[in-house]
Amino acid sequence: MSAAQSSWKEWVFTTDHKRIGVMYLVGSLAAFAVAGTMALLIRIEQSQLGPNLVGDAFTGGDTYNTWLYFHGAAMILAFLIPGLTGYFANYFIPLMIGANDVAFPRINAFSVWLFFVAIVLALAGFVIPDTPDIMWTGYPPYSVMTSANTSFYVFTVHLLGFSSILGAVNFLVTVVYMRAPGMGWNQLNVFVWTTVAAFVIQLIFIPVLAAAVTMLLFDKYLGTHFFDPAAGGDVLLYQNLFWFYSHPAVYVIFLPAMGVLFEVIAGMAKNRIFNYKACVYGGVWGITLLAGEVWVHHLYVAGMPDWIRVGQMVSTLLISVPVGLMVMSMWGTLYRGAITYNTAMLYAGSCLFLVLIGGLTGIPLAMTSMTVHLSETAFVHAHFHYVMAIFATFAIFSGVYYWFPKISGRMPNEKMGKLGFLINFVGVNVTFWPLFIIGIQGMPRRYWDYQMFPQFEGYHQIAFYGAVIVAVGMAITILNWLFSAIGGEKAPENPWNSASLEWTHCPSPPGPGNFPKDVELTADWTPYNYDKR
Amino acid sequence: MKGRLSALTGIAIALMATGAVASEGGLPNPAADWDVLWNKVLWDLVVIGAIFGIAALIMLFKYRATSPDQVGRGPKLSRAQALAWALIPATIFMADDFFMAAKGWTLWNTYRTVPENAMEVKVTGSMWNWEFEYENGIISTYDVDSKEGSGLVVPVGTPVVLRMESIDVIHSFGMATYRVKEDVMPGRITYIWFNPVEAKESWVTCVEFCGTRHSYMYAPVKAVPPAQYEAWVKKMESEA
Amino acid sequence: MSTAAGHEHHWEWSWAPTAVVIGTFLLVPLGFSAYFVYEDTMLTILFTGLGTPILLAGIARWVHEGLTQKPLVAGLAATALPIFIVSEIFIFLGLFTAYWTMRLSQGGNWPPEGTPELNLLIPVIMTFFLVGSSITYHVAEMKDEAGDMAGFRKWLIITLILGTIFLGLTVYEYQHLLHIGFGPSANAFSTAFYTITGFHASHVLVGLGSFLAVLIPAFKGRSNHTLTASVGVYWHFVDVVWFFVASQIYFW
Ligand code: HEA
Ligand code: HEA
Ligand code: CUA
Ligand SMILES: [Cu+2]
Repeated sequence: MSAAQSSWKEWVFTTDHKRIGVMYLVGSLAAFAVAGTMALLIRIEQSQLGPNLVGDAFTGGDTYNTWLYFHGAAMILAFLIPGLTGYFANYFIPLMIGANDVAFPRINAFSVWLFFVAIVLALAGFVIPDTPDIMWTGYPPYSVMTSANTSFYVFTVHLLGFSSILGAVNFLVTVVYMRAPGMGWNQLNVFVWTTVAAFVIQLIFIPVLAAAVTMLLFDKYLGTHFFDPAAGGDVLLYQNLFWFYSHPAVYVIFLPAMGVLFEVIAGMAKNRIFNYKACVYGGVWGITLLAGEVWVHHLYVAGMPDWIRVGQMVSTLLISVPVGLMVMSMWGTLYRGAITYNTAMLYAGSCLFLVLIGGLTGIPLAMTSMTVHLSETAFVHAHFHYVMAIFATFAIFSGVYYWFPKISGRMPNEKMGKLGFLINFVGVNVTFWPLFIIGIQGMPRRYWDYQMFPQFEGYHQIAFYGAVIVAVGMAITILNWLFSAIGGEKAPENPWNSASLEWTHCPSPPGPGNFPKDVELTADWTPYNYDKR
Repeated sequence: MKGRLSALTGIAIALMATGAVASEGGLPNPAADWDVLWNKVLWDLVVIGAIFGIAALIMLFKYRATSPDQVGRGPKLSRAQALAWALIPATIFMADDFFMAAKGWTLWNTYRTVPENAMEVKVTGSMWNWEFEYENGIISTYDVDSKEGSGLVVPVGTPVVLRMESIDVIHSFGMATYRVKEDVMPGRITYIWFNPVEAKESWVTCVEFCGTRHSYMYAPVKAVPPAQYEAWVKKMESEA
Repeated sequence: MSTAAGHEHHWEWSWAPTAVVIGTFLLVPLGFSAYFVYEDTMLTILFTGLGTPILLAGIARWVHEGLTQKPLVAGLAATALPIFIVSEIFIFLGLFTAYWTMRLSQGGNWPPEGTPELNLLIPVIMTFFLVGSSITYHVAEMKDEAGDMAGFRKWLIITLILGTIFLGLTVYEYQHLLHIGFGPSANAFSTAFYTITGFHASHVLVGLGSFLAVLIPAFKGRSNHTLTASVGVYWHFVDVVWFFVASQIYFW
């Protein structure tokens, strides 16, 4: 088989972890672009009182609801999670541990294809007459009673869930059994640890979500009664099962995002990780351990028994301890470093502040009595957009820039990169600060019109301008990647002089089998041993 | 609105100084307590945020590389230092968490303990409408399109407890002015209570997604002087 | 960690995973939606008619590749399967949680009105067959290890038959209950009953399918110990879950 003859098959049907990683990146960015466009529509609609884009006040809500449904579901399930645990994990974990590929390359290809058809199914939701309108949370009884097509939502979750579970199995086995000879547990990149923890969470909690949405499907289309109180079902059962996964899911996002930042910061500051063991064994695994005991903080106003609300308030607040340990390590990694600023480092540096704003605003939400006012308001939006739409998204951007020479063999255009960063950073803050303010004053979530609160119109307008700014920044950023990948300056082997294995032991971009020579490591090697080189 | 927020806080702090957070009737007022606690929590978070934020800012500036091949010189920790750098911050964070948990819990008890003299109103949520049924059988509603109906009318000075149920999907009864909300579900009855200490007109909005007209599921909440309330009751009774 | 594959100079590829995904996609989400959501027979036939052959071709190709190509590190599948099973345990736990919630919230009023007397002999017989098949599979595995292909095939076929009888009994029981009007939508008990036993039965079906995937190459004299062992672990798991299903649904 000559190279030219089979080249497209070697991409489309590839079982190589790097190419699969790139497929994840492309798919997740596509999802981001579509879901981001929905966000713009949302912002335009809310920018003034009364119907704007959606037509009339009686049925206009349906249109808005389908946008918001797609925006929330796609951003979390098809952009952040596959971006972090699909792209980054696939491309870099084998390189960081010195393996030739993952343990099960075909299962890996199976996962990425499940992800692709899930996106196809989600997008197909817009061409059917009964577009899903149930929000990414899909609460019954509404999701059972609605005339919209709930089944596409359920199957999208199934496909993505199955994809993630298989990914989890694959990577757990890979990290445990395929590390290069001599690589001990304390020599792993922090990113590898965070991703392993994220996969442990996926493995345990996704099945519960799968069970929950399956019951939804059966209730709606087979007439069962899981969530129907009139026939002995329980309305809150779904919410409990849903959040039992979907809270831990925020750490599936948070952990690898922190992992990427640790790599970028250590690499650009040429410094060791401060208190590595506290970060990994206290921080990463502490979060993983607590992740499963806090889901009721999403049900504080849902009529749960008081003793559960109070207990889970305490465990939710305690999450700040392991997160705080990771924060200490991240800050300490800057201490006496030698920081070089490029676009990757700018994004990473801004994330230090974003994690504070996003994380700390989670604290009042975690207090049952505070949430009684803040829950289901724009304050919650502001909180989670700060952690997800800005912090985690910027962490992804930071990682994409940092490893750009590795995956493309070319340097990203720094001027465009920095310009994009600046516009993005201004834009997101202009978009989401107003939401804190109107949130505290009671602006409800998922309202496309807010007749009763005309005083919020100005804030919504500011947020709209912010979103336009973000759109410009995003377009610059994405175009920059496209142009740099095609026509960027050729990259040297290790442009940032990083000490980590993916830079030191293989070419950019790596070929089949990754490493020209087998990797073998000594006991004093770490991915961060800058002062010993 | 913002002015009113801080005014409320001011009142509450003044009351705290006299020893008890109470309204005229000697009853707790969760909304005022909420504002007090919010101020405390906000300060707490601002302090934490400022410490870490300023530290980051300083280090990001101070530790810039001066030459391309300079490497970081972060000290390596001994075992004891590593342990100390983990346990001491963890203890401080945990202490702060428990402080907030205790504060939050105390206020939570206020929210859940209905005063004995509370007036009871039955609330029924449906797509997309609120219905209020009073103890004497009066039923009050509100039509968002024609703006007809009076919504929830309550006398100033009497705490009100709402017993709520839905006849279809999940809704949520949210009154931003009284800093309270709780879901309204089919098949089970939930409750909230609030203390209307001054005459004021505000809104209840549905804050759980419930479909097409979710944004239009709202009604006025009118706290009126007792005399005016009696008049309203008379009028409703005669109309019924 | 070097293997032959490590230094090869071509990109690996396989169309098998893609085919399995596309087949499954046509068959399950699209097939289900065409039938239950849009109630369109033509579409249903189209999707299932397209999906089934693609799926089967993908599986056949995948098994073929699995038997002929060397993995990067041999034997890892037998470690991976137990990890996957952790996931399976949690999905069953999710379903049981739903069942327990519904049941316990009903107090003494269980099973709810309209539930017929279940014939408890059926689950007992089913248990008998399933446990039997676990044992016969174990024998087959030992034959495989000893290199006795004929014995391997024989015990595999016996296992397959026992499993099929188990599934047949489920079908028989369902038919009877549906006949007397006790469908999934009858009440809270039927909801849990059909979902949990049905979900278990779907695992039995996957197990039978994987027996075929082992048996068909075995007729050509090919086998792979890791694959055989993995299928075994999965089947024993399906067996163990059945004890929970039976005790919770039938005998509690
Ligand atoms: C990546 C995503 C992500 C992350 C990381 C977080 C992190 C946290 N979240 Fe957030 N959250 C979401 C995504 C996320 N969240 C989403 C999507 C929703 C809405 C879902 C929906 O309804 O649609 C939500 C909603 C949500 C709610 C429910 C609100 C409601 O609907 O009523 C709550 C309540 O407790 C909450 C709390 C928290 C807490 C306590 C953390 C903590 O993990 C934060 C910890 C971090 C810090 C505290 C800062 C750093 C630490 C220090 C500097 C140490 C010192 C600090 C202290 C001692 C306090 N979040
Ligand atoms: C990762 C998560 C994520 C991200 C990144 C975002 C990004 C954004 N979100 Fe999102 N949002 C959610 C997750 C996220 N959101 C969730 C979970 C909800 C809750 C849903 C629910 O209630 O159920 C929500 C809800 C939500 C609301 C609430 C609506 C309501 O309740 O009524 C709003 C309103 O302002 C909003 C706005 C925005 C905006 C303006 C952005 C912007 O940052 C978007 C910026 C991106 C773009 C503008 C696209 C850029 C791309 C291009 C321009 C393409 C160019 C392409 C090429 C060149 C190829 N979001
Ligand atoms: Cu009722 Cu929203
Ligand atoms: Cu949460």
